[in-house]
Amino acid sequence: QFLPTDPPPPRRPAVYAEQHESDEEKQFRRVFQQLAGDDMEVSPNELMNILNRIISKHGDLKTDGFSIESCRSMVAVMDSDSTGKLGFHEFKHLWNNVKKWQGIYKSYDTDGSGVIGADELPNAFRAAGFPLNDQLFQMLIRRYSDENGNMDFDNYIGCLVRLDAMCRAFKTLDKDSNGTIQVNIQEWLQLTMYS
Amino acid sequence: MSGMAARLQHNRDRAHGIGTNSKAVKYLNQDYESLRNSCLERGRLFEDDCFGAEVSSLGFKELGPSSYKVRGISWMRPTELVSNPKFIVENATRTDICQGALGDCWLLAAIASLTLNKQVLCRVVPHDQSFEENYAGIFHFEFWQFGEWVDVVVDDRLPTKDGELLFVHSAENTEFWSALLEKAYAKVNGCYEALSGGSTTEGFEDFTGGIAERHELNKADPHLFKIIRKALDRGSLLGCSIDITNAADSEAVTYRKLVKGHAYSVTGAEQVSFRGRMVQLIRIRNPWGQVEWNGAWSDKSSEWRYVSDDDRERLHDRCEDGEFWMEFSEFLHQYSRLEICNLTPDALTGDDFKKWAETEFEETWRRGSTAGGCRNYPNTFWMNPQFVIKLDEVDDDPDDGQEGCTMIVGLMQKNRRRMRKMGEDMETIGFAIYELPEEFSGMKQVHLRRNFFLRNCSAARSETFINLREVCNHFCLPPGEYLIVPSTFEPQKNGDFYVRVFTEKPADFHEIDDPVKCEVEEVHIDEDDISDRFKKLFGQLAGHDVEISAFELQRILNRVMVRRQDIKTSGFSLATCRNMINLLDKDGTGKLGLVEFKILWTKIEKFLDLYKERDGDQSGCMNSSEMRMAVEAAGFSLNNPLHQVIVARYSESDLSIDFDNFVCCLIRLESLFKTFNTLDKDGTGEIKLRFLEWLELSLM
Repeated sequence: QFLPTDPPPPRRPAVYAEQHESDEEKQFRRVFQQLAGDDMEVSPNELMNILNRIISKHGDLKTDGFSIESCRSMVAVMDSDSTGKLGFHEFKHLWNNVKKWQGIYKSYDTDGSGVIGADELPNAFRAAGFPLNDQLFQMLIRRYSDENGNMDFDNYIGCLVRLDAMCRAFKTLDKDSNGTIQVNIQEWLQLTMYS
Repeated sequence: MSGMAARLQHNRDRAHGIGTNSKAVKYLNQDYESLRNSCLERGRLFEDDCFGAEVSSLGFKELGPSSYKVRGISWMRPTELVSNPKFIVENATRTDICQGALGDCWLLAAIASLTLNKQVLCRVVPHDQSFEENYAGIFHFEFWQFGEWVDVVVDDRLPTKDGELLFVHSAENTEFWSALLEKAYAKVNGCYEALSGGSTTEGFEDFTGGIAERHELNKADPHLFKIIRKALDRGSLLGCSIDITNAADSEAVTYRKLVKGHAYSVTGAEQVSFRGRMVQLIRIRNPWGQVEWNGAWSDKSSEWRYVSDDDRERLHDRCEDGEFWMEFSEFLHQYSRLEICNLTPDALTGDDFKKWAETEFEETWRRGSTAGGCRNYPNTFWMNPQFVIKLDEVDDDPDDGQEGCTMIVGLMQKNRRRMRKMGEDMETIGFAIYELPEEFSGMKQVHLRRNFFLRNCSAARSETFINLREVCNHFCLPPGEYLIVPSTFEPQKNGDFYVRVFTEKPADFHEIDDPVKCEVEEVHIDEDDISDRFKKLFGQLAGHDVEISAFELQRILNRVMVRRQDIKTSGFSLATCRNMINLLDKDGTGKLGLVEFKILWTKIEKFLDLYKERDGDQSGCMNSSEMRMAVEAAGFSLNNPLHQVIVARYSESDLSIDFDNFVCCLIRLESLFKTFNTLDKDGTGEIKLRFLEWLELSLM
């Protein structure tokens, strides 16, 4: 069963938050400002450029680059106000996850092939905090891996971002923690079309 | 971080009454009761780490860390300042509020008005807290913030200099409710300095959840006197003031003893018979408790001799208490502005007051879908969120002898995301009101189209489009159904807003929107219907396994589409191709057989025809309004939140949607409707999902 991490602390008013940032956060905010431009929001295109710039520095990660489609999907699952862009806090959450998952990717690519094979995937995902059942692992492989069952880095990140977001969505809507959620057609479409 | 789910949960919370005054939202998740109890258990006084006793809580510029003004400031608890501090001495009164070293007189005027209405005051300042019983250095207050009541806790460390409170303090130096209230309001706004400069109406609204109207008296509403009387009957808070022309004028006293740049309260409005004619009088109060008007109808004036004994007995009061009468026409002449804060029905109990009926909605304008701009933009105006109000009953006491229904419409913009530079990031907003034609009467599942707005004139509208937090106007309309369309001035401006309607008689107010449903025609094809030519082609494409995988489909589609000059596409992604296969793959192989492929091909041909037909400007792609109509023509009826999602998910930064995204969107819509209907076997309109089922479905 999935054990989500604690929700982030409540968001402080912006004035307060900015005054209390650690040096690392301040530096990250400066970087974010450069990446996101004047509107302080990251569009799918900007996200694609950022991610592709990072992977170009890591030759050992096998990937054909992040596609715009996968970046749109990543923005969609994290965006809560239908603007089609990510704000500072969402982006920071994504950024920290990408860093964490990149480490896992490398250590669970046991044969050093640069991709996560079907046999390596369950352990890698468990390490990332997603102990799923076999049926779900099979489905993720069908959906995100290539014809030989291998998942490259961009698909791996895209898959985890979506998985993480959908687990959070469930937890958010299952307010009484009884293990089920109930949705009507509009909510269903809002949740699944925007992903 | 929870994406769309966070928004849905917020809507559900609202529907369950969270955020109303009786179920206030805990600000920053801090719960007064549990924090106090844990402090009591540990025998420690509360220290609020969300709003610390430090320079950053004071300010950023004039009260910023490097300002000389913050030198020598120390944070002290009331228990350290006086020997016997009280939360409230006797009753809270307006003398409890004396301004400190902060330019927040607007806030003080609002707090002072608040003390005139006991019930409203008790909501903002819960009275069951003290420095004696269960004292733990923690206090809490409730404010109204953009449609929600929030419960805010503070510790009682207050900024002081030389042993005196720096900001708001009470005339009674042992009394601390007003200083703590100011601290809580500073916390909500980020710091003390953020309170510097503002309008009383903002304070009125944040303390009452009411709606504030502003009347400029040099162009007063002809029915203003009646409006004031009705407002007083309803327990509304009324303030008036005289503009200053320069800073030196502030609190300058005229030779008629009126104070400029000072917030007065209006406390009465009466008609009396004077020398054979009816005269309208208005009673005004100077919160200083002294300095009164000395012109006609003032305490000592001769006019009072010529009214009936009854009226004199009832109205005339010669006390020097700050309160005085003035003829209404003189009032319009002397004063510049009147502010009326109308209270919501839940703010008033008992039969002393008449009550407004009130309804409210939260909605959003989004670029490309629901941000239609004002009526100057007929191509997009109709895309704005739409609301209908049904006015059935006329007012009891019409303003000018003509029957009508009074309503106040307030449109407020929320800028959660960009609170940082409040004021600078306000959009220019306003609204228009139309008579709703009979054919739409009582319908909720309808969204009026472009043609309606081209053919019909508005019945009323907000006075202006303006970049204020709120636009609010008073109307008196004949009974009937009316459509209200709030918008930004220019189209394609993102914004979150909150619309409220106050009516004299109960009225049905609701949002109208298209229903969510799918009426896509199924494509039925038998193997016999398929031409030999197509079969041959399929054989070549499918290869030895006689089925087409997502990878093969992607190659095929992109090979075909690259030849088309008349449509724009960036190529079909693997994800889109997988979606197509999921929709049509009946046998679960993850690949398409001959018939399945033929059905898909037929669908794509249909999409292509539709795309060409709807691309009115022949640009090779859909713009956002073309897309909206195309989605409809494809058999889907969607509402505003879903149109917003489509634009956010599938459009480019210039709001265009190319062919592959167009197909991807329609295919995905169709399969999601299908999945839902399959799960909703008994047609209840709701589906229940367990965690693993949810993951399986949502990760597809």
